[in-house]
Parts: sequence; C-alpha cells; structure tokens
Amino acid sequence: MAAAVNGSVGGITAPGLSLVFEAIKSQRYTDLADLLDNLELEKAASGTGIPPDWPYAIHLLAHVIVDDLNSARFVWKRIPAPAKQNNPELAAAWNIVKCLWTHQHAAVHEALRSYSWSPEVQQVVSAIAEDYSRKVLKLLYTAYSTISVADAAGFLGMTEQEVINYTIEHGWTLDPVAKMLTVRPTVTTVEQKTDASQLQSLTEYVFHLEH
Amino acid sequence: MMDSLDAVVTQVQALSGSADDCVHLAGLLKQSEQVLQVHAPRVGYALQALDPAKHSLGYLYLLEANSAGTLSREQAGSFLVAATNFLTVCSADQIRLTVDKFNILCRRMKDHAMQMMEPSSAILPLYAAIRKLQPSSEYLTPLHADYLLLCLLSKCYKAGLKILEDDIFEIDQKRTGLVPRDFLLHCYYGGMIYIGLKRFGKALEFFQHAITAPATVLNAITIAAYKKFVLVCLIQNGQVPPFPKYTPSVVQRNLKSCAQDYFDLANLYNSRNITDVKRCVHAHEDVFKSDTNMGLANQVIASLYKRNIQRLTQTYLTLSLQDIADTVQLEGPKEAELHILQMIQDGEIFATINQRDGMVSFQEDPEQYNTRKMANKLDSEIQNIIRLAKKLTSVDEQVLCDQNYLSKIGKDRPRYDPDDFELVPQKMYTNL
Repeated sequence: MAAAVNGSVGGITAPGLSLVFEAIKSQRYTDLADLLDNLELEKAASGTGIPPDWPYAIHLLAHVIVDDLNSARFVWKRIPAPAKQNNPELAAAWNIVKCLWTHQHAAVHEALRSYSWSPEVQQVVSAIAEDYSRKVLKLLYTAYSTISVADAAGFLGMTEQEVINYTIEHGWTLDPVAKMLTVRPTVTTVEQKTDASQLQSLTEYVFHLEH
Repeated sequence: MMDSLDAVVTQVQALSGSADDCVHLAGLLKQSEQVLQVHAPRVGYALQALDPAKHSLGYLYLLEANSAGTLSREQAGSFLVAATNFLTVCSADQIRLTVDKFNILCRRMKDHAMQMMEPSSAILPLYAAIRKLQPSSEYLTPLHADYLLLCLLSKCYKAGLKILEDDIFEIDQKRTGLVPRDFLLHCYYGGMIYIGLKRFGKALEFFQHAITAPATVLNAITIAAYKKFVLVCLIQNGQVPPFPKYTPSVVQRNLKSCAQDYFDLANLYNSRNITDVKRCVHAHEDVFKSDTNMGLANQVIASLYKRNIQRLTQTYLTLSLQDIADTVQLEGPKEAELHILQMIQDGEIFATINQRDGMVSFQEDPEQYNTRKMANKLDSEIQNIIRLAKKLTSVDEQVLCDQNYLSKIGKDRPRYDPDDFELVPQKMYTNL
C-alpha cells in the first residue's frame, strides 16, 4: 500500500491541480486563469510555497485565452528565475505572449506551431490558435478593403496558396497580377427586438427621474 | 495561587460565549496587557490551550503579545503560519471588539511577509481579515492599503481587484481604526494596480481621490500620486485638467512646484510634437527614473502617436499611409499601417486600409445604438446611476441631520424661522 501512495510522484500530485486538469479535459479553458491564480495564492498562504511541478506554461496561457495579456505578463514576472531557465515549454509559451504583445501576427502563428507541446498544453494552445485565427480574420474584414496575398497569409498563418483558396471561399476576389485580395465586406445581422421587460424598465427610469 | 497568565487563559476560555461575555472579556484583556507582556516568552504555550475560532478575542491578544518585538526568521515563519490560520478561522464578531489590536496584528503579518520576501503568502489571509473587519463591503479599512501593497510587490495585480471593485462609501474611524494615511495609501496603491492592468480611467479616479482628500499640510503620498496622475492624464486624455474646486488650497498652491518636471512634459505634450516630447522625457529621465515613473513616461510618448492619428481622422476622409507616417513622424508607411491596424482592433478609430493604393479611409463610428447588446449596456449603466443617486440622497439626508452641520448652518441663519411655527394648522387645536 505504501508503494502505491508514494508511487504517484511522477504524475501531478499537488492537491487542487487535479481541478486544473479536469478543466482542460472538459475544455473549460476560460476557467483556468482564475483557478490557477487562486490556487497559487492558496499555496503561498499554506507556507509550503509553489510546488516545483507547477504547470507554469498552462498558467501563462490560461491568461492568453481570456485575452488578458497583462496578467500573463505578471505571471511571467512572478515565476522564479530557475523555473524560467529549465523549462523550454514555458519559454515557448512566453514567446507566444511576447509576439501577441508586440502584435507580430505572423510570428504568433509560428510561435504557436513551432514547439511540440505536452498533451495538456497542446489542448490549450490549439484553443488559443483557433480563437486567434478567428479574431484576426474578423479584424481583416473590418480593417482592410484590399490586402496583399503575402500579408494576408502572414496574418492568418497560412501559405499564400492556402490563403487564396480560403479567402475566395469567403467571397473575396483575387487580382492575380498585383497579388491583391479585395475583401468582401460582411453584412452582420443584429438582433434589434425589444421585449416587454425593456418597456418595464424604461417606465421605471422615467419614474425615477420624476421623483 | 494561580499563575496570572493561566488566569488570563481561564478567563478567555470562560468568557468567549455570548456577546455580553465577549464585551466583558475585551475589557479584562485590555487590563491584562501588562501580564501578557511580562510573560511574553510563555505565551506561545498558552496559545495552544485556545481555539482561534472559538476564543478569537483572547487568541488575538495572546498572538499579538507573542509576536511583539524582533523575531528570528524561524519565529517569524511560525508567526506567519499561526496568523494565517487565525485570520482564516477567527470570529468576525469577536475581533471587531478590539479593532486596533486586530489592525496591529495584520500589519505585523504584512511586515513579516515582506521581510521574508514572500509577500504573496499574506494575500489571502489579509483578504479574509478585510472581510471580517468590514461591517459591509462599503467600508474602507486600514488593511486595504496593506493588501494592495502586497499585491503590487508580489505582482498579483489581479488579486487587488477583489477589493478595488467594491465601491467605498463609508469611512468610519471608530469601527475600522482608519487614519488619513490609510486612505491616501489606498488611493495611491489602488491607482498603481490599475496602471499595471492598464485601466487608466480607474487609475485617475484613485489618484484624484488622493489629491483632493482634505488636508492641512502637503504630504509625500499626495505628491507621488500627483506625479502619476499627470502622466496617466496625458496617456488617457492628452491633457491635465485643472484642480477640482474641492481640492485643499494647500495642495493647490504647493503641488505644482513639487512636480515641475511633470508639468514641463504636460506643457510640451500640448504642442503634439513627438520630437519635443521625446526630448523632454529624455531630459527629465533621471527624475522619472528615481520616481519609478519611467515606464509611464514612455507610455506617454506612445500615446502621442495614437492621439495624433486620431486627430487626423477628424480632418481627413482619406489619407495615404505615407502622408500619415510623415505627419505623425512614424518611420514609414508600413509602421503607420501597423499603428492604424492596432487602433482599429482596439476600437479607437474606424477606418479601412486599402493596401493596393496605400490609402486609408476614415469612417464614422458604425455604432447605431439599436442593438440588443447596446440596450443592455445602457440599461445597466442607468441602473448603476440610479443606485448611486439613491445613495447620494441618503447621504444628503444624513448630513442634513448631522449635529455639526446643523450648528454650523445655524450660525448663518436666524435660529428660529417664523415659518417653523406655522407647520401645525391652528384648527387642529381648536377642534380638541
């Protein structure tokens, strides 16, 4: 029995961290940042300090996925120097944050792809990549009327041929001589319906103003 | 005869039940402070006889006595463990009977955590302490500033929001042991947390509270807050507003001379000339560095590029990237494009870039204020304002009933207003 208790050292043993891995498994990525931040403070208060097997890379990326680069930056500043040096995965994750921070769109895709992540981190990274591509595409729609094939490829992290196929699918047009794509503006439909509850609150506002 | 320390322990054990007992115990403990001091080395053993949750009041006194004076590293470590446990489990009702002792203990915990270079270890315990000391989340406590300082030092900026997001309405010296310094530091550290999180609007609010707080002398916290205030104003609004009317005159008169370098920068910023602003930041580099404001000063420079681009959108409908780069003094069209792209992404301008012709066309804000989402947003804003208006009315009523206010007003007005006597219709009496 004693062997079984001691035998689990190789896996994730720190209590509480199992919650983190459950969240990853069930793809609740947006919960990760708060979960890890709180856990970190609990560990600090318990007097035992942060365990050496702390999932720093996930902690860093957990803030990226909720678009909170600032907090990711502070996570990095909190990580003790030895942990930074001996953890290539963490360094690769930090590289993603740096590229995002400096808005190097093409480099972000490269940073997301260029490391062979461990399985849990890979899941988070994939979620970030998907989210990021979606956001960049949306930005291209609003910010450009025409854009060069090379730039679009960089933004979306694709090869030039891929980006041509992809955007033409979305109704963009290609000028093959100038290698320019013309963006087809999106028509977004918005919900405009009002309901009874809104009328009710309007009534309350008027009441408030008159009294 | 019973040992005096044992007697204290027995009292604590016997009188930690009902509210009345606890009040009685608080009085007794106040008288026994001398005994605890004399027996300080043995208090550690006595603590073991007490339950921090059940005998919170007594435990607080003993733990405080036990940790007074200088502690060895080892002692400080075990004090932190004991204090963490105590603050997490102690009874709020009991510790509120002796607010000052509680504040001393918490402050000591903060100091030791900082000395041991482990500021983050005290964050959760102090958070628990704040919630226990506060009669409600609207109260400011002396622990707020300590908590924020720990968040800053340990780079846990987000943890600071947990208390910063509560709106403070109550400053109650009696119930929280708050002194003016606590208030000023709360504003200063709070502002710094918001700077770190780049929520500059909120940061300005906090600094402004520090600057406009009633004061009869100028103090260092106000000066430091004002320096950051100037820089954040430039980043956020592009200009520094005049002092609000309610700023104490001593602050208005003397503050500018204490922050001359910052004023130079603010004046130059008005010229919108990036070279001048850069040169100015460079010239005052030593001051900014020693005030640890260099990072902010650099952000002031970056903000000027954005502000100048924004100004172009008010003049032109379309403009070439090259022209933008020239006017704003960016290196070339590519850099201008990146700046504009960034601003579009952040919703700071509305424009489309035409790479084929190298042109940018500026547009109006496409928001039509007709979506469900916008309606909901307006809705919640209005709700907030209504809540605030109600709060204001109730504070107004409180002031109107305040003895001090009435006696001051009474001097300016005749004591008896003839109208006061005609409130009751005469008829009522004749009917009786």
